[in-house]
Amino acid sequence: MSLKAFKRALWVYHLNTGSCNGCDIEILAVLTPRYDVERFGIMLVGSPRHADVLLVTGPVVNQMVPRVKRIYEQTPDPKLVIVVGSCGIEGGVFYESYSLAGPVDQIIPVDVYVPGCPPRPEAIIEAVVKAWVKLEKAEQGVS
Amino acid sequence: MMPGETKKATYTIPIGPIHPALKEPVRLALSVDGEEIVDVDVFVGQVHRGIEWLGMNRNNPIQTIYLAERVCGICNICHPFAFVMAVEHATGITPPARAEYIRTIIAEMERIHSHLLWAGVAAHEIGFDTIFYLAWRVREEIMDLMEYVTGNRITKAMFQIGGVRRDITEEQFPRIRKSLDYYKSLFDQLKRVFLDDRTIRMRTKNVGILKKEDALKLLTVGPTARASGVTKDVRQDQPYAAYADLDIKAITPDMVSGTVIGDVYDRIIVRLLEVKQSIEIIEQCLEKMPPGPILAQPKMAVLLKTLTEAEGDGIGRAEAPRGEVIHYVRLEAGRETLTNWRIRAPTYVNLMCVPLILNGGQIADVPIAFASIDPCLSCTNRTVITDQALGERSVMDYEEMHRLSIQKTRELQR
Amino acid sequence: MEILSPEEIADSFKTTLRDGFIDAKIHRCEVAVRKNIFSTIWIYVKGEAFREAVEHLCKLQEHPHLAMISSCDLGEHIELIYHFTIYYGRHLEELSLGLRVNLPKSDLKIPTITDIIPGALFTERETQEMMGVEVVGIPDKRRLFLPEDFPEGVYPWRTDEKGPPDDVLRVLPGREPK
Repeated sequence: MSLKAFKRALWVYHLNTGSCNGCDIEILAVLTPRYDVERFGIMLVGSPRHADVLLVTGPVVNQMVPRVKRIYEQTPDPKLVIVVGSCGIEGGVFYESYSLAGPVDQIIPVDVYVPGCPPRPEAIIEAVVKAWVKLEKAEQGVS
Repeated sequence: MMPGETKKATYTIPIGPIHPALKEPVRLALSVDGEEIVDVDVFVGQVHRGIEWLGMNRNNPIQTIYLAERVCGICNICHPFAFVMAVEHATGITPPARAEYIRTIIAEMERIHSHLLWAGVAAHEIGFDTIFYLAWRVREEIMDLMEYVTGNRITKAMFQIGGVRRDITEEQFPRIRKSLDYYKSLFDQLKRVFLDDRTIRMRTKNVGILKKEDALKLLTVGPTARASGVTKDVRQDQPYAAYADLDIKAITPDMVSGTVIGDVYDRIIVRLLEVKQSIEIIEQCLEKMPPGPILAQPKMAVLLKTLTEAEGDGIGRAEAPRGEVIHYVRLEAGRETLTNWRIRAPTYVNLMCVPLILNGGQIADVPIAFASIDPCLSCTNRTVITDQALGERSVMDYEEMHRLSIQKTRELQR
Repeated sequence: MEILSPEEIADSFKTTLRDGFIDAKIHRCEVAVRKNIFSTIWIYVKGEAFREAVEHLCKLQEHPHLAMISSCDLGEHIELIYHFTIYYGRHLEELSLGLRVNLPKSDLKIPTITDIIPGALFTERETQEMMGVEVVGIPDKRRLFLPEDFPEGVYPWRTDEKGPPDDVLRVLPGREPK
């Protein structure tokens, strides 16, 4: 993909559904000067109403299910969901626990999966870029 | 101010987390009287994944090491460390001395990374995003070092029952020493940035005070307790691994400021000094590292057989960056899974002092006071505020609290 | 406060508790190159003598450090271990002490110690909700970790009929079962 796709700023909202924080600190490391995604305009926002992309980590704990659904509904269209980490994809090491509702795609639709426990910051950047390209293609398809 | 005279305070909006990315959900219910907090209630449970149940019903002890690593991604050396020590305590397997030293080096590297992470997050709570980026940039050096030594940045899989899985060889020492020198050269600058800044002092001095008596009664552990003058440190009192050969002294804030108050400023002092102490410990370990094997039993099949036939119970205590971690393990002969496994992470205990820290303070101080106990496995998700006078409950977003916190900083700077 | 050796501590419990005292075991291990020796003391007491044992411990160490309460389902009984440490704050001096209480499943009650050690609250609440042990006199009876809509009478750490039912234990949807 070429740098033409980076035309607009992508605003990202991060949602933790009960993860161990490994993926979360790698997401935060992506913002820091070493990897620095802010030069592409990608920014972390504090409210889902301003977000274009939802970054979800963690296996979904039962208590978090209504919250996940509500945040998904609050995010305006067009939106994308990226799941970071093996826990969100298929439960990771917790695949038989009694207190989990299931992987994220059983609850909300997911567009990009990033495997790893936790994935490297470079993998997360690649995922956001792929999501970006997907979003652009979707918008071009619509308009 | 009597109840009934308070001004009406309405806060709106839904939900948000405390740290920009560390949104481990915990709920705090605050009761306010005007701007002052009079009561706090803590609700945990949103991160409960049933790890102990999985360990007891599905995994054999060797697989459980990797499950223990994923209890927390920030302190993921101390949990397998305590677990492995508990199993060794129960079965009598003794790791060789070289493995003990390697374990200590890795544990201290984790402490440096965790404290720098916390320093950045604390700065963000006050509103100094520049320091947040500085601290995390500085932290990348230790992450690179961990990747050089263990192979990964976060989940490192170094522990094995009876030793460690990878060796730190003599060829790797110069690279490790280079990173340590980098941190030593930076340390004075970090100290100046955090401790001598006027605004940080104004925001953190006499905020979130925890008295020594309360810390003892509520069983607080870690830097939160040491900042209040309670000198509990597992590395000093009941040393394990290579700490038993070194003389570690628990760090208290009077080493820099002369007195012990127990506020947020003291906690910053303790954590920064611990980074320096960690650098010194790693250097001593590199000098004194004994030669020898790194595993007591290198053959997996034999080890598994020993564990299946072992009977007994044991405890393992380690000093995580946040405090004391304890694991209790019970093994029964003939059973491949563990009979009983109990974990107690340090934040679990430190949460009980949160009402005392926040009481009497302002809402704008809640983010920094709560972050100063370094919560892990728990963090504010949703804050419900009850105005005592009117009995009104409204849900306040973290964004709002964070904005109040930054606003207070700007007002102080004028 | 004087520092006693592990044997002296075990004897002091024996003399204070008399009938309530069942047994004491001392475990020693050597650590690292210098081979310092660290001791763990296990003291087995009866349920009725439990509070007296905790009060006696407070005389040996003001504000003993309670690390956690672990509980194990042993079929007919449930064993609770209160993991204390004493003599903290001194280099190489800390001793681990575990108070072990065996409760029959027909009478699962234990008195609270939150009036002596307020910090025991969270761990007592967890034992209550996860194992079904009733802590008599606890100031706060609410659940700690489990959600409010988790069914009553189901205790996740039990291995008998009160454990989690089979429909809760399953491989997560979306993953292939073994």
